[in-house]
Amino acid sequence: MRARYAYALAIIIGIAIVVCFFLDEIRTVSVLSFSLRYAVPLILAAMVGIVCERSGVINIGIEGQMLMSAFAGFFGAAVTGNLILGTLIGIGTGMIMGAFLATGAVTWKMDQIIAGTVINILAVGLTSFFYVQGQVLPGNTPIVAIPLLSDIPLAGPVLFNNGLFTYAAVAIPLILWVLLFKTRWGLRTRAVGEKPSAADTSGVGVDPMRFWNVTIAGALAGMAGAYLAIEAAGTFERGFTAGRGFTALAIMIFGAWNPIGALAAAFFFGLTQGLASQLQADEVIAIPQQFINMLPYVLTIVLLAVVSGRIKPPSAVGRPYEKD
Amino acid sequence: MSTTDPARTDLGFTDPDPRRGGPLDRLPAIVIPVVSVLLAFAIGGILIWLQGVNPFQAYYVLFSNALGTTEGLLRVMQKSTPLILTGLAVTVGLRAGLFNIGAQGQLLVAALGTAWAGYNFQMPMVLHIPVALVFGMLCGAAWASIAGALRAYRSVSEVITTIMLNSIAIALVDYLASEPFKEPDQPLTRTPEIAPTAMLPTFGIVPSGFLIAIVVAIVFGWLLSRTTQGFRFNTVGLNPSAARYAGISVKGTILLAMAVSGALAGMGGAIETLGVTGRFEPAFNAGLGFDGITIALLARANPIATIPAAILIGTLRSGAAALQFQTGIEPEVVDVILAITLLLVSAPIVARLLFRKRNIKQTQVTQGWGS
Amino acid sequence: MHRKIALAAVAAASAVVLAACGGSGGGSSSSSAAGGQGDCPGADAFCIGLVTDTGKVDDKSFNQSAWEGALEAASATGGYAKYVETVDPKDYENNINQFIQAQYDVIVTVGFLMGEASIAAAKANPNVQFIGVDQFQGEEIPNLTGLVFPEDKAGYAAGYLAGLMTKTGKIGAVLGTDTVPPVKLFGEGYKAGALAANPSVEVTLVYHAPDNAFNDPEWGAAEAKKQLAQGADIIFGAGGNTGNGALIEIAKAPGAGESIFCIGVDTDQFFTVPQAATCLLTSAEKKLTLGTRTLIEQAQAGTRKGGNYFGLTGLAPYHDTEAAVPDDVKAKVAEVIAGLDAGTIMTNVTL
Repeated sequence: MRARYAYALAIIIGIAIVVCFFLDEIRTVSVLSFSLRYAVPLILAAMVGIVCERSGVINIGIEGQMLMSAFAGFFGAAVTGNLILGTLIGIGTGMIMGAFLATGAVTWKMDQIIAGTVINILAVGLTSFFYVQGQVLPGNTPIVAIPLLSDIPLAGPVLFNNGLFTYAAVAIPLILWVLLFKTRWGLRTRAVGEKPSAADTSGVGVDPMRFWNVTIAGALAGMAGAYLAIEAAGTFERGFTAGRGFTALAIMIFGAWNPIGALAAAFFFGLTQGLASQLQADEVIAIPQQFINMLPYVLTIVLLAVVSGRIKPPSAVGRPYEKD
Repeated sequence: MSTTDPARTDLGFTDPDPRRGGPLDRLPAIVIPVVSVLLAFAIGGILIWLQGVNPFQAYYVLFSNALGTTEGLLRVMQKSTPLILTGLAVTVGLRAGLFNIGAQGQLLVAALGTAWAGYNFQMPMVLHIPVALVFGMLCGAAWASIAGALRAYRSVSEVITTIMLNSIAIALVDYLASEPFKEPDQPLTRTPEIAPTAMLPTFGIVPSGFLIAIVVAIVFGWLLSRTTQGFRFNTVGLNPSAARYAGISVKGTILLAMAVSGALAGMGGAIETLGVTGRFEPAFNAGLGFDGITIALLARANPIATIPAAILIGTLRSGAAALQFQTGIEPEVVDVILAITLLLVSAPIVARLLFRKRNIKQTQVTQGWGS
Repeated sequence: MHRKIALAAVAAASAVVLAACGGSGGGSSSSSAAGGQGDCPGADAFCIGLVTDTGKVDDKSFNQSAWEGALEAASATGGYAKYVETVDPKDYENNINQFIQAQYDVIVTVGFLMGEASIAAAKANPNVQFIGVDQFQGEEIPNLTGLVFPEDKAGYAAGYLAGLMTKTGKIGAVLGTDTVPPVKLFGEGYKAGALAANPSVEVTLVYHAPDNAFNDPEWGAAEAKKQLAQGADIIFGAGGNTGNGALIEIAKAPGAGESIFCIGVDTDQFFTVPQAATCLLTSAEKKLTLGTRTLIEQAQAGTRKGGNYFGLTGLAPYHDTEAAVPDDVKAKVAEVIAGLDAGTIMTNVTL
């Protein structure tokens, strides 16, 4: 999306939110909290996509990586009786799934979309096959209100009164932005994703760079999965990621492969979901609920159609690197 | 994106003609998938064995039920039909550099449209079936063209739009089948039954829809490898700037490819409605479009190869119920076998094991996000 | 005519042979009724087959309840029970046929989507008894009984309780999709009951979008939290795992079980979703396990009738929230449930 359109849109939405806040504080705050909560797994999963694709590797297996991590994290926490251990198991599983994709897509130079699809199908099969009923988490993750900041009107209750994963999900895109655009690692990563041959000539190992980035990105997918099972839903069910890994790919593109752009896009998408459910709850308009439920998807398409410029993916994405 | 990019000179689908090259070059193309499938079954067998069931008995049950009876064969063919077509839909997109994740949405819209044409029109069979079929295909094509047009004219990635359009399609058909097109005087979300004149006949035990799907796959195999239009698709998919220099309309090709892809997915939905379900009921079409992605990838974007790939999946899914009935093994074991097959077919593991070559170049099926 | 009889004889004979083969090949066909393994021991045994709707037998919902009913009936009658899980709705017919071919005596088909497949199978196999859970029978077929529930009554009772219990005057519901009849009946019944108890109560019903409507616990949780934030103090979760997500979330809220409550659906969710026990006021129950068991036992005794069997609905015990509910509320709710059962109170809910 062209930057000026994006800024204009962000300002309009911001003003609308403030106006709503003065009109109806409780509804505004609760809808925004819903939106942020809806956005959290999408943000984390979109970061997975960004790290991978900036390095030149498509990761279509985010959904499967999340599902496997949620499974391992949930049952890990339930069996060990320790939420932190469960979270670590989830993140570790995410890394293993990342390494799985890296081995296929980078080391073996498999078709990248196939490698990701394998993860998706495998995750559905394995988590369903080994699912057992009756496991319960040993407790709940704490909600941490940040002193002073949480007292700010509007922003306080929405942003500064959350679980730890939520803070992480907001912080990680900012950190990742700095890492990608202001550090050596970021420069190399982008070089490997844009012009691998040039990177290679200047002494950056293309394949090792890609391998480790994809593996580390898997840890983020692990976080997204652990968040869903441990902090958010507090349970694991078969296939309960419900397509969020795919939506995250759309968010990544929407955000133009930029971590902050994706953060904003995910929040926008969450906001449309929050609006949809609030419109239904308040019975403001007498239209069938299916049409209200379409709203987030229709708005996203319309918005992209109206304001789209050329959003360009990293140019070497999808292609394994082979030396000449 | 230069034409000399080494990763792109060896695309599996630029030359699908097996007649070129000697018999030894062809060998891996047949041996690798077969060995991969066998290995995947071996690994699945371990999973079955861990559950305390004899894997040989389990597989015997699965295959004898799926392929050993006439009803079983009929079901395998019925299940394979939409899979061949959605597999083709994804394949056509991939060839033109488009990743159509939206086959599911296109299939749903088409299945509903076909049902509407099936119960709403009254005409003789020779007209009714083609009219309903074409109407459904047009619905699918129209739905896909939204993504196609946005891609061609507004540079919006078809990956986003097709994901979004899937969700919209699910809500839309749910509304239409529960309100305006609902079968009256009953509580379920479904359309009335189609007229008998619109029902696809079955020849002996072979459903005509299956034959249609096979013919369409063969036609597309020829279209994509032997015709100018196929060449245009491939060129746009491989290298849009080169295509532009060669005087090919990239926008037109993208539009056409997306429409054709949607029409194929739509045909899958239409045949489901006319040949199997006899009406539109949302739950009966779940997952078919997503299986199409798996099949296109398993078939390495080769239209002809979608036939065996779809039959493999159809057989496994068809036999899974008997497997559970007789051995207690959960049907999800099929997904595990499928994922391992896809991995082994696509990864160099089997090739290295069999042919002892270290530097086997991997074929790339997909094209990134295009652009 | 002769030909038809001959054909039927051949079919029957081959079915016997098949069943015999299955029996010998089954290996560990122990007499235990607990597992899904082994096979119907033979024509003398009373064999119960169950075909699930798409989904699993351990779904904490209607498939599981029906299966538990089948297991109870098996142990009560000394019979044998087995299930097959449906993955693709187009396999309903085939899954039913597996049990027919293995000569099962009673076949339970779960879910309204299977209604037509059940009718077709019942008509084709007049000697097999069928029980169709959630399948309303328009015409009476002697060997098929539809086990149906007035979900609106259960929802009404739950809503009535919520209407009496709410302190904020606002109650909510997190639901599956409204194109699934039982879900809408639960939701609308809940609303009608709450308004009957207290005409000034504000009732919020929110349905999930049709995709993943019953398998999105995180959406259910987020929606429940939003409704709590907007002042609702009692929330009804009715929509498979989506609704369960709402229950689990409400149990985490401060004041859960004291000032904030949740209401479950279908079965007594005190047992199926133990995480929600602290806030769980009750569950709008369809006594599916009991209904399935009763019909199977009737089938064995030969007293089962065709047409529809109306299963019981009601509210599950209060369990942990027993002390939070005043005695006069309990009495009034019991009165309403009795009135609903007797037909003196109408929910006036239609689809």
